Amino acid sequence: MKKRLGIISFFVAIFIAFIVIWNYSYQVGLEEAYTPVIETPTGNFIPSESGAFRRFDDAGLDYFNMPVDEDHQRSLATYYNHRAYPGAPPSIPHPVAKERSFGGNTCIQCHQNGGFVAKFDAYAPITPHPEMVNCRQCHVTKNTNTTFKDFNFSKPKPPEVGLGANNALVGSPPMIPHQLQMRESCISCHGGPSAPKEIIVSHPERINCRQCHLPKTNAQPNVDTSTFLRQFDQLNEK
Amino acid sequence: MMSAITAAASMFPGIIFASEQEEGIPENANLDWKKGPCRFCGVGCGILVGTENGKAVAVKGDPNSSVNKGLLCVKGYHQIMCIQSKDRLTHALVKKNGTYVQTPISEALDLVASKMKETIAAHGKDSVAMYTSGQSTIPEGYIASKFMKGAIGTNNLDCNARLCMASAVTGFLTSFGADEPMGCYEDIDHADYFVTWGNNMAEMHPVLFSRMLEQKAVRGAKIIDFATRTTRSSTASDRSILFEPQTDLAVANAICYEIIKNGWVNKSFVEKHCTFSKGLTNIGYGLEDKFKFTDKPEAIDFEAYKEFLKDYSPEKVAKYSKVSVKDIKYLAAIYGDPNKKVVSYWCMGMNQHTRGTWINNLVYNIHLLTGKISKPGNGPFSLTGQPSACGTAREVGTFTHKLPHGVVTNKKDREMAARIWKVPVARIPAKPTYHATEMFRAVDRGDIKFIWTQATNPLVSLPKTSRYRPAMEKKSCFVVVSDVFPTPTSDVADVILPASWHIEKDGLYGNSERRTQHWSKMVEGPGDTTPDAWMFIEVAKRMGYGDLFPYSKENHVEEIYNEYRQFHEGAKHNMAPLEVLKKESGAIWPYVNGKSTQWRYNAKYDPACSNGEDFHFYGKPDGKAVIWQRPFEDAPEKPDQEYPFWLNTGRVVEHWHTGSMTRRIPVLHQAMPNAYVEFHPDDAKVLGIRNGENIKVTSRRGSCTLPASINERGLPTKGQVFVPFFDENMLINDVTLDSFCPISKEPDYKKCAVKVERV
Repeated sequence: MKKRLGIISFFVAIFIAFIVIWNYSYQVGLEEAYTPVIETPTGNFIPSESGAFRRFDDAGLDYFNMPVDEDHQRSLATYYNHRAYPGAPPSIPHPVAKERSFGGNTCIQCHQNGGFVAKFDAYAPITPHPEMVNCRQCHVTKNTNTTFKDFNFSKPKPPEVGLGANNALVGSPPMIPHQLQMRESCISCHGGPSAPKEIIVSHPERINCRQCHLPKTNAQPNVDTSTFLRQFDQLNEK
Repeated sequence: MMSAITAAASMFPGIIFASEQEEGIPENANLDWKKGPCRFCGVGCGILVGTENGKAVAVKGDPNSSVNKGLLCVKGYHQIMCIQSKDRLTHALVKKNGTYVQTPISEALDLVASKMKETIAAHGKDSVAMYTSGQSTIPEGYIASKFMKGAIGTNNLDCNARLCMASAVTGFLTSFGADEPMGCYEDIDHADYFVTWGNNMAEMHPVLFSRMLEQKAVRGAKIIDFATRTTRSSTASDRSILFEPQTDLAVANAICYEIIKNGWVNKSFVEKHCTFSKGLTNIGYGLEDKFKFTDKPEAIDFEAYKEFLKDYSPEKVAKYSKVSVKDIKYLAAIYGDPNKKVVSYWCMGMNQHTRGTWINNLVYNIHLLTGKISKPGNGPFSLTGQPSACGTAREVGTFTHKLPHGVVTNKKDREMAARIWKVPVARIPAKPTYHATEMFRAVDRGDIKFIWTQATNPLVSLPKTSRYRPAMEKKSCFVVVSDVFPTPTSDVADVILPASWHIEKDGLYGNSERRTQHWSKMVEGPGDTTPDAWMFIEVAKRMGYGDLFPYSKENHVEEIYNEYRQFHEGAKHNMAPLEVLKKESGAIWPYVNGKSTQWRYNAKYDPACSNGEDFHFYGKPDGKAVIWQRPFEDAPEKPDQEYPFWLNTGRVVEHWHTGSMTRRIPVLHQAMPNAYVEFHPDDAKVLGIRNGENIKVTSRRGSCTLPASINERGLPTKGQVFVPFFDENMLINDVTLDSFCPISKEPDYKKCAVKVERV
């Protein structure tokens, strides 16, 4: 008997331990699930200006030394052909591999960093927003040339580019004639071999584009900026 | 010209700018290009202005300038457009029965001179005052000083650089005994890390920031942004670290704590070249009129300093600075790594601070403890916001306590000024009078009966304009405003004098890196416009001081500069001769033996070093720099129940200061037509504020209504709102607090408490 006492008390101890642990884990299981929120100092907001420098930080994109392949350059005409209106997301002008594919493993493979695609004899345009991988939420293929009903939509004219079109002074840096939403990263469209030849930038190494190039907007601010607080005009002798 | 540009382009590989721009200029254009410094910020980019038939029509970067190597920012490229504005002040205007009457300039100057004389006769010398600018040229500042201190004999001269650079000056003087940075912009080409302290360089000093980005891309240099607001600079930097307003003092001390704890102190450097000091604490905020403060420095030893730092362990500081322990240690490790070169940059974030002098000292401490100073790629660098804040305000000394060489309280300095000015020593008073804020308080109290402002717009740029605008409107003070355009300040003037703009006169500016730059007149100014210096001289002559101002109208800039240079003779501050400045795109002082001195206090580069060691901080009598024990002290006004938000003010890339020039440039106005109040999206959500809605921002001093901006240009930390101050229609300075650093007397525009409501 004495001999077995050891082994029995061992099993009793294990059994008690089991009861305790099982009870504890049961009690813990009753507590409400809690996931800690990790807060960054900006409060988990991505600053709207963050896109401006993004493509320069990406590894492997050496915009400073990208050659220009004149035989395979895009033109601004094709650039706008794929858009319903200036600023609209472009449609997909080529057949897609799989209908059920997801941007992260298909589109992005060519459009994140670009490069020559022999099949289409062209350079893949680089997306300004590679972090948005549900590409086909906005970009759709073109599967027919017909329309459902005739319609009257006339495509607005794209902004003019070229010498003097957007400059305030002779030789001054041209203003930005288009909106910037979703296109904060200037270099994606204005640099590299896939850039339309009319708008390719000669100085990609400058990086801080908006130091010199400001948006040229026609939008009116919702406050009156024409009258000044200053009383000078009223005080002046007529 | 073309060949010069091509030659320059081959000298600076990667700099293709000027030729790039050249292509944009029509071939038949017959432009004549003339060199000069840019009119706007303290970076001091070299510009080339293209003139055609006597009109300025184009601007490009000067490829020969080592500052910008041919690149400019959007303000720089379009600067000349402002002078075509139709409301340009072309004639003198004298207020008669409430309306401005066009008056010949000589008559207006007669009036100014007689008013000044009358006021002095009736109320004494200290009843007249002059308030000038860091945009005044070197000769203009010099004449203002000579006129007020040498001719009239009053120290009632201060300038708007008090609002932006005074803390940098007192920081340099207390730590090194000599003003202005030891390094230069070439540091950018050597540094491994750039740490920016409360400084949005991508917008405020864009050309330097571009040089940093270039180094980041080419050499892998890193940019660390340490700030209270997420900006364009933060998004371009390798790491953005945010802190609670005012706690930069604690974080700087915590970095020193870590440096000492981890044994990263450069012992031989500290032993040979540094001493330790402490000053008074609980030094006040200058909120009351006639506030006075004098620091009492006291030498301490390294052990005492180490003991003091015990309160600033990263763990303790993290609690109130909201900077994580990890981030503080990360910053300390950057400074502490002996194999990494670090440059610290700052501008208004550290200077416009109720403890501005202290925080300047504390950043110097970091560089001194690690010996990372006065070497290519290593050093603290205080940036300036005005084109000649250094050249004019600081070097010529258009402050109440300053003389072109030294201070009024020093007998030797007064004697030197008297000798060069040819006036009796007794005429230069030994006691400083009013600094900027106090000067306008004195106008309010009625102590100042005559004030003349030049090239500045105080009724937009002063803190608490809600007090100083009514003050300037009072009948008790006769106000003379010299400017190029009408401003809210000229609105309260009794006489408005039409000033020549930048390229309509000869001039010299001095930039942040001690570079003096000259330009010659490029175009004729309209109507009666006159250079500011010449207006002073004309008034001085009318007051009977003609013999002190024997300059000729055509050549006065050259004559004045040659006279001024005598003040700075010697290896410590010699200014380049005018012939050199006319030929080259600027030269850095001390200009000794035909050479610019790029790194001061370093025997390898600076001929003024004379102690036989590697370094010589010759500004101090013992040749040693001072490591200061400066504690953390709270801001005078913090958010509370009633006023729950911090208000931070600042600038945007499109506009320069109060916008009197840049808002008249269509390109810039169209891109940024009005000011706004920036919210953190979480705060906006709680308050139910949508983008563009009009919001009334109210403090204990006044209020201002602006459209809300949520996650657009910048992202303030939670509990903070940000407003740019360029917009004269939305005067945020009606709201700000006129507290200042007791040592430098520079106001803090970055911190006060406000409430916000939808209107």
